[in-house]
Amino acid sequence: MTISTGPPITAKTPAAEAPPKGNRLWAWLIFLMGALYFMLPLAATFYWSLRAEKGRFGFEAYRRLFADANFMPAFSESIVNAIAAIFLSLLIIVPTAYWVRLRMPRLRPVVEFITLLPFVIPAVVLVFGIIRLYSRPPLLLTATYDSSRVLLVCVYAALSFPYMFRSVDNGLRAIDVRALTEAAQSLGANWITILREVIFPNLRVATLSGALLTFAIVLGELTIALYMAQKTLGPYMANLTRSKVYEPSAMAIVAFAITWVAMGMIAYISRERKQP
Amino acid sequence: MSKSSLYPDSRFADPAEGGAKRSPQLHIGNWLGVLPFFVFSGLFLIAPTLILAYRSFEGLNGGQTLDNYRLLTSPAVINSYGMSIRISLTTAILGGLFGFLIAWAVSLGGLPRPFRTTSTTFSGVASNFAGVPLAAAFVFTLGRVGVVTALFEVFGVNLYKSGFSLYSFTGLTLVYLFFQIPLMVLVMLPALDGLKRDWLEAAENLGATPGQYWRHVALPVLMPSILGTMILLFGNSFGAHATAYALTGGLFPLATLLIGQQISGDVLHNPGLGYAVAMGMVIIMAFSILIYSILQRRSERWLG
Amino acid sequence: MRTNKIVFTLLALILVSSFVLSACATATTVAPEEPVATEALPTEAPPPADPMAELYAAAQAEGMLTTIALPHDWCNYAAVFEGFKAKYPGIEVNELDPGAGSGEELEAIRANKDNPGPQAPDVIDVGLAFGPTAKDEGLIQPYKVATWDEIPDSAKDPEGYWYGDYYGVLSLSVNTAEVANPPTEYADLLKPEYNGQIALSGDPLSSNAAILTVWAAGLATGATGEEAAQAGLEFFKQLNEAGNFVPIDGDPRTIGIGETPILIDWSYNSILNDQNLAGNPDLVTNVPAAGRLAGVYVQAISAYAPHPNAAKLWMEYLYSDEGQNAWASGFCYPIRFESMVAANTIPADMLAQLPSTEGSYFPTIEEINAAKAVITEGWPVVVGVEVLPLP
Repeated sequence: MTISTGPPITAKTPAAEAPPKGNRLWAWLIFLMGALYFMLPLAATFYWSLRAEKGRFGFEAYRRLFADANFMPAFSESIVNAIAAIFLSLLIIVPTAYWVRLRMPRLRPVVEFITLLPFVIPAVVLVFGIIRLYSRPPLLLTATYDSSRVLLVCVYAALSFPYMFRSVDNGLRAIDVRALTEAAQSLGANWITILREVIFPNLRVATLSGALLTFAIVLGELTIALYMAQKTLGPYMANLTRSKVYEPSAMAIVAFAITWVAMGMIAYISRERKQP
Repeated sequence: MSKSSLYPDSRFADPAEGGAKRSPQLHIGNWLGVLPFFVFSGLFLIAPTLILAYRSFEGLNGGQTLDNYRLLTSPAVINSYGMSIRISLTTAILGGLFGFLIAWAVSLGGLPRPFRTTSTTFSGVASNFAGVPLAAAFVFTLGRVGVVTALFEVFGVNLYKSGFSLYSFTGLTLVYLFFQIPLMVLVMLPALDGLKRDWLEAAENLGATPGQYWRHVALPVLMPSILGTMILLFGNSFGAHATAYALTGGLFPLATLLIGQQISGDVLHNPGLGYAVAMGMVIIMAFSILIYSILQRRSERWLG
Repeated sequence: MRTNKIVFTLLALILVSSFVLSACATATTVAPEEPVATEALPTEAPPPADPMAELYAAAQAEGMLTTIALPHDWCNYAAVFEGFKAKYPGIEVNELDPGAGSGEELEAIRANKDNPGPQAPDVIDVGLAFGPTAKDEGLIQPYKVATWDEIPDSAKDPEGYWYGDYYGVLSLSVNTAEVANPPTEYADLLKPEYNGQIALSGDPLSSNAAILTVWAAGLATGATGEEAAQAGLEFFKQLNEAGNFVPIDGDPRTIGIGETPILIDWSYNSILNDQNLAGNPDLVTNVPAAGRLAGVYVQAISAYAPHPNAAKLWMEYLYSDEGQNAWASGFCYPIRFESMVAANTIPADMLAQLPSTEGSYFPTIEEINAAKAVITEGWPVVVGVEVLPLP
């Protein structure tokens, strides 16, 4: 049961009435210019990926890419890692952001600083630090491939903190956290119930943003997976296209398309369902 | 106690004040709420940072030294910090501006619903499209043999002769925006959804023009989110290096490239210095967050 | 206030535990024992028929070999791996980051000192100047392969800690579809017809090939030693001011599409690239006569290798005729080149493919370090963004 106060505070786009015509014109203009800026480099990449055969346009580069058998295992491994990292990140960040907003606003700068640490620690430094920490007893986590994988997922969750926290924080700002909490508490809900039934459902858009960003990060991540000796999509793609000329462009397009489709699926799964 | 009579709604109450009204027995409970975060960050973020700090004192011949930090004041390092900050600020502001416009367009601008979903998912992918593939994509587009460059030539304009170069600050900014703008879009959408329709209506009823609505209602409400997202963009750009290296081959001294040269490269090898530069970045980041927090508190103060 | 006390206590607790964690991680570890010589057998046993059999058995028991920084298309390491796996089945070859730089390789050894897992590299392949650095830091262990004596003295550590594996010469790789008149010497590069066409294969501050290029350009002007480094800087300053220099990180793609039609890189990379492109477009590899510079890379076994016997077996393979010829098939000069040519163990067709290294200058470690100091200091000032007017 979701609790709302006043006009619906669910994550729907505001009202169905069309905004003034002038607005819509601007919106179209902005969108089209944005589309142009983003599509041109991708189109140029696609153009070059078609030129693998001398003098002709063809899908030779793509054929060479898909001839390799190791794609699916690497891809599915990355997907699983991504989903695990998303859940882990959500589980940690949403309650934390909620708590900081509600109860401990003075802690906010500290929490924000920590969530921004992934930006200032180079990936190479981070992975070697992690290896140093967890390659010896009592915390020996790197001995086997699978335990290293768990470690990797935890690191990915930590890497997603900047994006997840900011999205969730923005989402929390947009809803009346205090009123919702008070209302729920007055109905006898405990914290877990509040988080599960009240906060999470109202953060649909924010958590989706965070999840998508995390997904993209995990799927494309290279350095940490390489040094953790993990066989994920990043190393696979890098190895396949190293020192090649046309295959990297094909790979970029394929990776882009696959990630986009996967994101579409995530968005679809977490779309808002009509109230019964 | 709300400071604005227009909005007596409790949502604008100062959260800090509310804390004092909480019952005392929940004090320890407060900390339990953030404990998972601190433990997890401690294990995977803070501990590696502390290792980083410890090793930043390592000298070239083993042993501890302050030389690395002394070297931080050398012109080369200062220059690289300056350049990193410059490009990060530029792309944060420009990315913030354009990202905000696009986010507005797909949420409040009246475009059909599928545009928003497409933009959201596309932004998710594009925000992580960086490094060599991104640099390559722009070389394909605006490089000397790029598609757009060739297009301009068809119309008789030689981009490179007119002084444009992809391998310049402008070029790098242009490339960085490819992942900065989508980040802004994605992270601002939840905030834009929070703009209540009735505020717009109330403002219109009071005779406000759209400009006044934005200046006095919408932007102030959104400002904390905008600032927060822009610091994210700043950090994102500050820590980027693969794209810059691929595009400009180290022509631009950036702090991250400097670190890479000392730690990963095939030429220089003073890891202690690399770690010290990284610590410098941590300090700059902390400082930026301080400034941002001050700005944020100011912007929230308006909200009563 | 009570809350504040708890605040600080808990924060302090978290900080302290993080600190303790990191302190444990950075504590020095016990140095490894002296590696046992492979010849040490129980004295009663007769010498094995295949000298590698015992080593192979020990390596098989370890079950894995972890390598790092070995791209498959660098000196045809793909063939090397294949050959090794075919000759010594039962050893899983685990390849870490093929794109790692020398600094990362050393860092990988340092970080994995106690790690028995698959992240710890057993063997490294680094630039010449990194051999002594690794030795001084105690990161590598000595081992002398069976063919040790055939490695030139100038390319190995007398105590056996590191040893040269292959070398190549710097060349001008030219995309003939874009460049009608390929340059053959460094001096040619200054000509106006090559405006906006010339790139290095990286940044001289982090790429071995790039910094040696700068030095080689200086050598081409007739200068020697440290003056050549300065001359090289001057040369590139001129190149940059003339607008011929493109500051992009050159790689097969940038030359293939014509963005950097003239790329200065190792001859073996250029020839392989030409082969891969199969005429789409055609590349030509011109090795300059003036300033011909050879670069040696060295192998070493990690002092903390979790699979030391597998590592030694790998080394034996690399320095056997088979291994050396595999590198030759990648257009690299194997380090035992002279002896192998004398013993006729390199196939004639392979010999024919290798570009001439006649008159190449093989810099010593001291010379390289001296040149490095000059170039790394001067590059940002002479060619860097301080020089270019910012828009």
